[in-house]
Amino acid sequence: MDPTIEINERVDVVAVYKKQGDISTLCMPCKMRWRNQEINLTELALRHPTVAGKRMLHVFHVSDGTNAYRLEFDSEALTWTLVALMAGDYFELSPE
Amino acid sequence: MNYRLNKEQPQVMHIDLNSAFASAEQQAWPVLRGRPMGVTNRLSKECCVIAASYEAKALGIRVGTRMSEALALCPQFIMLETDPTKYTHMYQGLIRIMKDYSPKIKMKSIDEGIIDFHGVHRKQTLEEIGYEIKQRVYKDLGDHMRINVGIGTNRFLAKMAAGWHKPDGLDTLDHRNLIDFYKSIELEDITGIADAFGSRLRAHNIFTPMQFLEADDDLLRRRVFKSINGLHWHERLRGYEVDDYETKLGMVGRQWVLPKASNDDEWLRSCLHYLATTAGMKLRYRNVEARGVCVWVSFNMGGGWKDKKMLRQTFYTDADIWLHVSRLFDHRPKHMTIRTMGMYLYELTPSSKSQLNMFDDVAKAGNLSDAIDEINDFYGNFTVFTADTLTGKKSVKQKIPFGGTEYFELLLKRA
Repeated sequence: MDPTIEINERVDVVAVYKKQGDISTLCMPCKMRWRNQEINLTELALRHPTVAGKRMLHVFHVSDGTNAYRLEFDSEALTWTLVALMAGDYFELSPE
Repeated sequence: MNYRLNKEQPQVMHIDLNSAFASAEQQAWPVLRGRPMGVTNRLSKECCVIAASYEAKALGIRVGTRMSEALALCPQFIMLETDPTKYTHMYQGLIRIMKDYSPKIKMKSIDEGIIDFHGVHRKQTLEEIGYEIKQRVYKDLGDHMRINVGIGTNRFLAKMAAGWHKPDGLDTLDHRNLIDFYKSIELEDITGIADAFGSRLRAHNIFTPMQFLEADDDLLRRRVFKSINGLHWHERLRGYEVDDYETKLGMVGRQWVLPKASNDDEWLRSCLHYLATTAGMKLRYRNVEARGVCVWVSFNMGGGWKDKKMLRQTFYTDADIWLHVSRLFDHRPKHMTIRTMGMYLYELTPSSKSQLNMFDDVAKAGNLSDAIDEINDFYGNFTVFTADTLTGKKSVKQKIPFGGTEYFELLLKRA
C-alpha cells in the first residue's frame, strides 16, 4: 500500500557544496551514516524547501541506487535528519 | 463549407504537467518510477485516487478510483498521501519558467497554466518555445517531470491541443488542421462537454464535434444551451477567444471532512473556528469584506443542516467572522453526529479599510486584525492565533486545493 518507512533519526552526512550551478544541485549529500551503516548516495532526485514554524528546512530526496531516502537539513540547527526511506526490495517482496 | 474559422496566428499556449502529483512523487522517490502508483489526500481503506501515474492509468486506475478497486486491479498498487510542499515547489518552478516568456500568464489550476503571447515580441516560433519549456521543466523541475504543450488561437483550442497526444505532447491547433481534428474525436472529448451537455446536444441531433461546429449560433443559443453560452460555444469552437475574463469573486469559505464523524461540541467548535480563521485570511488576502455568512454540516446518517445570515454592516476581522459563525453553529441539531462541515462568507464588497471610521472601537478592532496579519505575514502562519483554534489547527490538515489557485497563491505568499 504505502511503502514509506518513517525513521525520523539524526544522521551524519557528508555533503558537497558546489561553487556554481543550478540551485537544485548546488548542495549534494554524498554519504550518510545511519545505524552504523555507511550509505553512498548516488542520485539527488529532488530538493525543495519547506518550513517548520520559523525554521527553514531543505528536503533532499536521494537514492543509493537501490533504496530512496528523504533527508531534511535544518538550516537553523544545522542538523540532518533521515525522515523516511523507501526500500527498493519492497516491490520484489510485494504480492504479484 | 465556410466555417468562419479564426485564421490569425496562434498566440496562446497551454501547459499541463502530466499526472502532476503522481509524477512529483515519482520524481522524489526514484524507486516508484515505472510503477503503478497514486496519490490521495488521506490514506484510508476507502480513500480514492486524486492523481494516478501513467502506469496506473494504463491499468484502468484513474482519478476517483477507490483504493479497494485499485488493489483489485493491481495488488502492487502504491498509494501515497499528498505532500503539499513538494507540489508548491513544482508550481513555483513552473510559474518561474512561464514568466520568462510573457508577462501575461494565468494559472488555471495547480498543474496547468496559460501563456498569452499577444503583444509579446519574440524571435522563436511558439513550437520552438514549447520545446524549450519542455527542456527547462526537465532540467529545473526534474528528469521525470513531463508537460503537454498545446498551442491555439484561443484558450479552448490550446487546451484541446495540449490533450491531443498525452503524455509529453506538443501540438498546434489552428484553421489548417482544426476540421481534421474535430473529425477524429468524439463529442465528449471536447473540454467542457461532459455527460450533461453531451445529452443536451444529442437531444438536438448533434452527435459529433463536426455537427456541433456546423450548428447554427441561433440554435445553440436559443434551444440547446438556452443562454449566451450557446453563442460562446459557437465562437469558441472556431478559435475565437471568449474565455479571457476575470471571474467575479462570489464567496470565500472552507469545508472539511472529519476524519471520524463526531458530535463533540468542543472539538467541532475548535475545528470550525480554525476553518473560519483561514477563511478570514482568504477574505483579507482578496481585499474584500463580507455581509453574509453561512454555516452548513452534513450528518453521518445522511441529510444535513444549513443556516445563513445577512448583516447590515460588512465585516472582515477574525473576531467578527467567528462571532457570526459560532452563533449560527449553535442553532444546529446538537444530538446529530457530523461527517462534513463548512462555512462561507458571501455578498462580498471591496474593502473599505482605507476610509476613516467615526467609531473608535471599530477602528481599534480593524487595527488589531491588521497587526495580527502583519505579524503572521512576517513570522509565518498562525504565529499569533486564538487559543480556541489550537485543537482545530492540529486536526484540520492542509490539503491540495483543486480548481482555482487563489488560495494556493496565499499559501505561497505566507510561506
